[in-house]
Amino acid sequence: MARVVALQQNQLSFSPLASSLSDFSGTRLQTQLQFKRKLWQAKGSFYVSASSTKKILIMGGTRFIGVFLSRLLVKEGHQVTLFTRGKAPVTQQLPGESDSDYADFSSKILHLKGDRMDYDFVKSSLSAKGFDVVYDINGREANEVEPILDALPNLEQFIYCSSAGVYLKSDLLPHAETDAVDPKSRHKGKLETESLLQSKGVNWTSIRPVYIYGPLNYNPVEEWFFHRLKAGRPIPIPSSGIQITQLGHVKDLARAFIKVLGNDKASKQVFNISGDKYVTFDGLARACAKAGGFPEPELIHYNPKDFDFGKKKSFPFRDQHFFASVEKAKSVLGFEPEFDLVEGLTDSYNLDFGRGTYRKEADFSTDDIILGKRLVSV
Amino acid sequence: MAMAMATLASSSSTVLFSASSSNLLPFSHPSSSSRLPFSSSLHYSLSISPSFLAHTSATSRDFASHAAFSIAASAAQKKKVLIVNTNSGGHAVIGFYFAKELLAAGHAVTIFTVGEEASDKMKKPPFNRFSEIVSAGGRTAWGDPAEVGSVVGGEVFDAVLDNNGKDLDTVRPVIDWAKSSGAKQFLFISSAGIYKPTDEPPHVEGDAVNANAGHVEVEKYIEETFESWAVFRPQYMIGSGNNKDCEEWFFDRIVRDRPVPIPGSGLQLSNIAHVRDLSSMLTLAVEKPEAATHSIFNCVSDRAVTLNGIAKLCAQAAGRPVNIVHYDPKAVGVDAKKAFPFRTYHFYAEPRAAKTKLGWQSTTNLSEDLKERFEEYVKIGRDKKPIKFELDDKILEALKVPVPV
Repeated sequence: MARVVALQQNQLSFSPLASSLSDFSGTRLQTQLQFKRKLWQAKGSFYVSASSTKKILIMGGTRFIGVFLSRLLVKEGHQVTLFTRGKAPVTQQLPGESDSDYADFSSKILHLKGDRMDYDFVKSSLSAKGFDVVYDINGREANEVEPILDALPNLEQFIYCSSAGVYLKSDLLPHAETDAVDPKSRHKGKLETESLLQSKGVNWTSIRPVYIYGPLNYNPVEEWFFHRLKAGRPIPIPSSGIQITQLGHVKDLARAFIKVLGNDKASKQVFNISGDKYVTFDGLARACAKAGGFPEPELIHYNPKDFDFGKKKSFPFRDQHFFASVEKAKSVLGFEPEFDLVEGLTDSYNLDFGRGTYRKEADFSTDDIILGKRLVSV
Repeated sequence: MAMAMATLASSSSTVLFSASSSNLLPFSHPSSSSRLPFSSSLHYSLSISPSFLAHTSATSRDFASHAAFSIAASAAQKKKVLIVNTNSGGHAVIGFYFAKELLAAGHAVTIFTVGEEASDKMKKPPFNRFSEIVSAGGRTAWGDPAEVGSVVGGEVFDAVLDNNGKDLDTVRPVIDWAKSSGAKQFLFISSAGIYKPTDEPPHVEGDAVNANAGHVEVEKYIEETFESWAVFRPQYMIGSGNNKDCEEWFFDRIVRDRPVPIPGSGLQLSNIAHVRDLSSMLTLAVEKPEAATHSIFNCVSDRAVTLNGIAKLCAQAAGRPVNIVHYDPKAVGVDAKKAFPFRTYHFYAEPRAAKTKLGWQSTTNLSEDLKERFEEYVKIGRDKKPIKFELDDKILEALKVPVPV
């Protein structure tokens, strides 16, 4: 909804240069911003904003998705608050982010310190502040959302980060938003949250990512491969290696979250968000090698049933086909992933692992069990 | 509007047809009698443009009286389509469904089948059901595609579909004749088999193809020759009238309580579409040539299915259990191409261009469609047919899997 607003130039902090958006290779974002800039300039002193400045709350926002999303929102000129316990620093400079961009972002981002599991505190603090839009990036259970909705009866939009993990396993793929969901899945909390949102009157949007990757990933997805490639170790892949999965770059996901903001077409809709193409397990190992400039890796296939790894995971992906169509987001929202797989993995490598940073130490214990047994059987 | 048209059909048909029928020349063909159901060629002369209808204060009587003077036949809406159809194989059924769908939509159809009308090949489906095309107002003809012009010559078609050739030698004469005869749009049934293998499925229109494939040279030549063209790349299909076994391979084993041997892990993805999905995509391309032009369309349904999944769905359709057995063709010593009816690696394309450019929707529902297929399988008595399973037995013996007698 367009609001007629008399704006002063300095209220809207548009970085005039492309370089500040280079972390996102954000051609699409630039286009959006340029469009808004032109609107203001064209109308002279009487400005109409295409997307009005909003007071936005992000539940979470200091770890992975939110780190990128909050930056996009602040660049768009919104007032953004992060609700976190404060265990992690509220802001951290991103790899490749200029000092001035980081300073600008840090000066604008707001923090609301609290524990979202303290429902009374959530309700009172949110209702005291009032927000137009909530992005719930770290919610797991439906109960966690209720106090937010109760606190903000005039909420314009509740945007939820759900998961494609809710889909019922199927021999017919890809998963589409209309597919059956699994009420017993590990992600049933996400499903219950989506149901809760549907049952309340709120204007909600739910995003279902598949596997997310990119710099600062705390889930060892690409990192798992990079550790082995760097160590010159073979990559152990369960079963045939033809299982098909799907990765979506965190920056494309952040852009998708922007696409649904204030978008009527996203009202009460679910969208799968991930990469445009899928990838086999074997193919992913090869793509990671290309991204890091490593030679083509040796792939070792093994039968997971032959081993007992205890609680340890021997491979970072579900041992099955798992991928979802993003056609709905593309046709309804105009969503277009900017990164293809190798480009995206290269971005992750260059800004994170390749600089010597990672979240989990390398642990090759399950690899050694696999390789040990294989050497014996050969 | 429908009523008005119906009235027109009955009251003015003779007036209209004497005018237009002079353009309908009998097909000359040495070995077959021509089939020209003039009375049923009503369909394509009778398209009345909506704007015409809107401007008259239409009652059926008014139409009848105005018909002879002022029909603004919107020739742009109804098309004259020529299908050059193969006489065997998995693609044969495409032309059959496409012809019927076009006819039902009011277009004019000629289906030209390769070879001779009297040949044994014509005793198999879908050819043994071509009467359905004729009774719907379509024309049939037979001959050598290199001489298609001499058989259907005299006609100017809006669209020509080649659903026959796999290489340039076979299709070039059809393309050249279509161009010189003034056909506006050329359509070609190619194959999704030309895509290069990839680590990143699915095959999407625009992805690299094997330059050596015969279909590729045909696609290139079409692009060079025609202004308005579209190329369709199918995978596997099911549907009544199919000339080649697809689901039957699974039914044969399931209904006889035999194990179903699947090479590899069975996780390989494939695509099986009901042929009506292919037909609807082709029809949209004919009806929206501007939207379809200069385009490649993966002619498949919008869900892939694993090989294990096909076996399970066939079993569900048959209401019986299934015993899937996996094997390594090399270890067992069989040629997988002979032992199994599908490609043994991921063969997975998505119909993205058809959805975005044509607004096409897939209607394939394998669970439901396979039920229908199984009903027909039983109806024709194939479940009782004695079948030898030599290759299966070789595989099962190597794996030491018992087979019920």
